[in-house]
Amino acid sequence: MTTTQDLDLQHLSEEGIYVALTSDHLNAQSIIDRVRSPSAGAIVLFAGTTRDTFDNFTVSHLSYQAYVPLALRTMLSIAQSIKTKHGLKGIAMIHRLGTVPIGEESILIAVSSPHRQAAWRAGEEALEECKEKVEVWKREEFVGGEGVWRANRDGKKGERVDEEK
Amino acid sequence: MSAAQVGHFNILYFASASSYTMTNAESLPAPLPLSKLFGLLEERYKGIKQNVLESSLVTVNLTYVDVEGDGEDMVIKEGDEVAIIPPVSSG
Repeated sequence: MTTTQDLDLQHLSEEGIYVALTSDHLNAQSIIDRVRSPSAGAIVLFAGTTRDTFDNFTVSHLSYQAYVPLALRTMLSIAQSIKTKHGLKGIAMIHRLGTVPIGEESILIAVSSPHRQAAWRAGEEALEECKEKVEVWKREEFVGGEGVWRANRDGKKGERVDEEK
Repeated sequence: MSAAQVGHFNILYFASASSYTMTNAESLPAPLPLSKLFGLLEERYKGIKQNVLESSLVTVNLTYVDVEGDGEDMVIKEGDEVAIIPPVSSG
């Protein structure tokens, strides 16, 4: 299996669609450029960043793990459906894996469309679909050494886990 | 991705599943009826069914399967890649 540590960048793409997973820093400009089009009048960019608290706990950093081939396939499927539904010119989504320090981008989603309304809606919908379905897991490491795997589904604090070997 | 040993399938554990099993992946004997998977894992990792599996999804070769429903007929074959998918948390 592809581990997070040896993943530089893996992606899938087709006409007007780019989805990727990377262990590198995310670059907002490059993801905007992926959806740039002369027939687009709007580009909407969402940048998700890592927050330093969960409930009252202070988070020291986060790390993300993925089932890479399946996560890419799911991201592609989401992108295809959102692009068609909102008549987008382009959609690009990239998620960072491995350790992400607090305050840095963990996900970028860019969409372009002829008019702004569709781009706003599509951007939000793409993010919500990703959070619900893409096979990526976030582990919050709390100050003091305890860590938890989060689940988006219930919005509750994740299951407590012991230090991994 | 390491190939499964002869007569085995690979199973991948993510997030809380890997914490529970203390491993990311292992080889288990094939063939195995899908309906026997959770029972086998419970034998190896006591409590995993209630703590992890009941809230997780399962894929076989990157396709989601219904362990309760399809489980009656489907058989995990040698070389298959099975994965335990706990609730996801991207973003």
